[in-house]
Amino acid sequence: MNPLAVRVAGVTFPSPLVLASGVMGLSASSLKRVADAGAGAVTTKSCGLEERKGHPCPTLLPFEHGLLNAIGLANPGVDEMAGEIAEFQARSSIPVIASIFGRTEAEFGEAAARLLARVRPALLEVNVSCPNVGSEFGQPFAADAAASARITGLVKARAGHVPVAVKLSLMCPSIAQVAKACAAAGADAITAINSVGPGMLIDPHVRRPILANQVGGLSGAAILPLAVRAVWDIARTVPLPIIGTGGVARPEDALQLILAGATAVGIGTGVYTGGLEVFGRINSFLADWLDREGLRSLDALRGAAHPARSQEAHHG
Amino acid sequence: MADSMQTVPILEVIAHQAELKTFILPRILDAAPGQFVAVWLPGVDEKPFAVSADGPETIQITVKAVGPFTRRLLNCRPGDRLGLRGPFGRGFTLMPDSLLIGGGIGNAPLRLLAQRLTERGLRYTWLAGARRAADLPFLGELQKNPAVRLFTDDGSVGHPGTVMTGWTDALAATPTPPRLVCGAGPEPMLLAVREAARLHRLPVELSFERYMKCGIGLCGQCCLDGSGLRLCVEGPILTEEQMQGVTEWGLPPRGPSGRRPATTPKATRP
Ligand SMILES: Cc1cc2nc3c(=O)[nH]c(=O)nc-3n(C[C@H](O)[C@H](O)[C@H](O)COP(=O)(O)OP(=O)(O)OC[C@H]3O[C@@H](n4cnc5c(N)ncnc54)[C@H](O)[C@@H]3O)c2cc1C
Ligand SMILES: Cc1cc2nc3c(=O)[nH]c(=O)nc-3n(C[C@H](O)[C@H](O)[C@H](O)COP(=O)(O)O)c2cc1C
Repeated sequence: MNPLAVRVAGVTFPSPLVLASGVMGLSASSLKRVADAGAGAVTTKSCGLEERKGHPCPTLLPFEHGLLNAIGLANPGVDEMAGEIAEFQARSSIPVIASIFGRTEAEFGEAAARLLARVRPALLEVNVSCPNVGSEFGQPFAADAAASARITGLVKARAGHVPVAVKLSLMCPSIAQVAKACAAAGADAITAINSVGPGMLIDPHVRRPILANQVGGLSGAAILPLAVRAVWDIARTVPLPIIGTGGVARPEDALQLILAGATAVGIGTGVYTGGLEVFGRINSFLADWLDREGLRSLDALRGAAHPARSQEAHHG
Repeated sequence: MADSMQTVPILEVIAHQAELKTFILPRILDAAPGQFVAVWLPGVDEKPFAVSADGPETIQITVKAVGPFTRRLLNCRPGDRLGLRGPFGRGFTLMPDSLLIGGGIGNAPLRLLAQRLTERGLRYTWLAGARRAADLPFLGELQKNPAVRLFTDDGSVGHPGTVMTGWTDALAATPTPPRLVCGAGPEPMLLAVREAARLHRLPVELSFERYMKCGIGLCGQCCLDGSGLRLCVEGPILTEEQMQGVTEWGLPPRGPSGRRPATTPKATRP
């Protein structure tokens, strides 16, 4: 048996490492390349009912401790994306997670229905947490537990047998409470976290924000501690599998998220900081680690950092 | 960090034509020939441009007006500040006895390549083509360079015809076959160069363009169908082997949303 295999909402990933949404996620061929590099599942760029060009550039800004991004949900639209997903599935056996978004609560349900009418991804991921479209959509739905739960319900009603993960943000009073509301509405998994903030960087010479959108979500090394804490809180509150995401570039980072309670580990910015080899490198580290510890799977490590986890998990 | 944004003042502007200018900027980065930088025009947008030459303290980019961004850029004057990120991608291999083939603004990256080859004492032949004389940057400089042969479609300067007409002559004229063919220009020209190189069994490196946003291989915008190669990281200069993994040659490229326009143009009513 493959010791790195994990199960998320009934779907087997041959590795816990998942390509996070928005990175190399616009086409079947680029998703395939990441799958071949060792990802256990790949997530598409979030797509909505209509094609979007996204914000003008600069949309992505590396700095010393991470990255700001304000891509602005550029995507070809669900119908086109369904075609890319179908092509990916014809070319790879790695599970594909289709990420969807809506401008309104109702649009999430419509996007799910339109996508699933054409293709059957391994999971649906509901992005209620994009931090860089605030000027257009208002604050992310994920800031509001009730709205997140309603969206979860709308998508679940259209999803049939396809499991639904809800992608959450730290832009809320308690991410664990939002997760709990989504779980009650039928979510099958939680992905956490989306990029944080949003943040801003200003060029001192031209005296204006560098991102065309002015603000953008913070990702990369800077947010690893936030992601570890978010996964920790969610794991203590809901019994759902978690795709822990945020700041992972090194094997120890992935291990921290697993020890905090994640079943799978998303990697976005790490594709930049660690190169595409990041997947292969972390996979071999984890395999060696299990071997050295005499473990046959990652199960024993999941949430192992929680004191007396078995009792607390049901109370949190 | 080179990938982060740094703004610099424009030191000098060379106007080749109203629609074609070279900007001289402080050398805050070192680019290899074929590599590109992201140029930010504050308040407008940020777009990719190849480095066209450098000096001990300067780098140059050469810009042709084709749309809103490039038109705004061409209005900039010395002292105005531009943001730069980069250099991005992989450049051309520096090889003795190279054959450079450029079409229009594609001659810009080849200019830095010719400069580097000269600096290293490596021989080259450069076939520089354009539709008309006005589309050739550095015409005076090119005319003085004995390694350069000029071609224009309308015959306004150099030999009449395309660079491809010069290809066979160039092969016949050089004592040894070129060790590497380096091309930059419009995609139909590049694909013709690729074909010709294949016919003559010559190694090629060609500079391609796709819609780009991040420059660091994350946004997925410039991933090519087939191998999923990221043109901003593994390109923009591609070898024959890299080109073989790509299935989208000849198709209209994906736009800023990631969608590829339909191949067949919409039927027009009579
Ligand atoms: C690696 C690379 C190197 C380049 N080097 C040079 C150079 O040295 N000199 C030069 O004049 N031009 C160069 N270009 C092309 C230059 O980036 C475009 O001309 C410019 O972005 C057009 O913007 P616009 O708003 O003026 O025109 P638009 O009207 O927006 O577009 C005109 C054309 O430019 C393309 N384009 C627009 N935005 C982008 C983008 N973000 N990325 C890629 N293509 C785009 C469009 O697809 C279209 O074909 C290069 C492009 C790439 C990818
Ligand atoms: C360029 C870029 C684009 C992103 N686009 C999306 C998106 O479309 N949908 C989404 O749910 N998350 C998106 N994200 C967030 C990532 O999926 C991830 O949650 C976040 O970046 C934290 O992980 P990281 O530090 O590994 O990047 C994007 C992130 C980046 C850097």
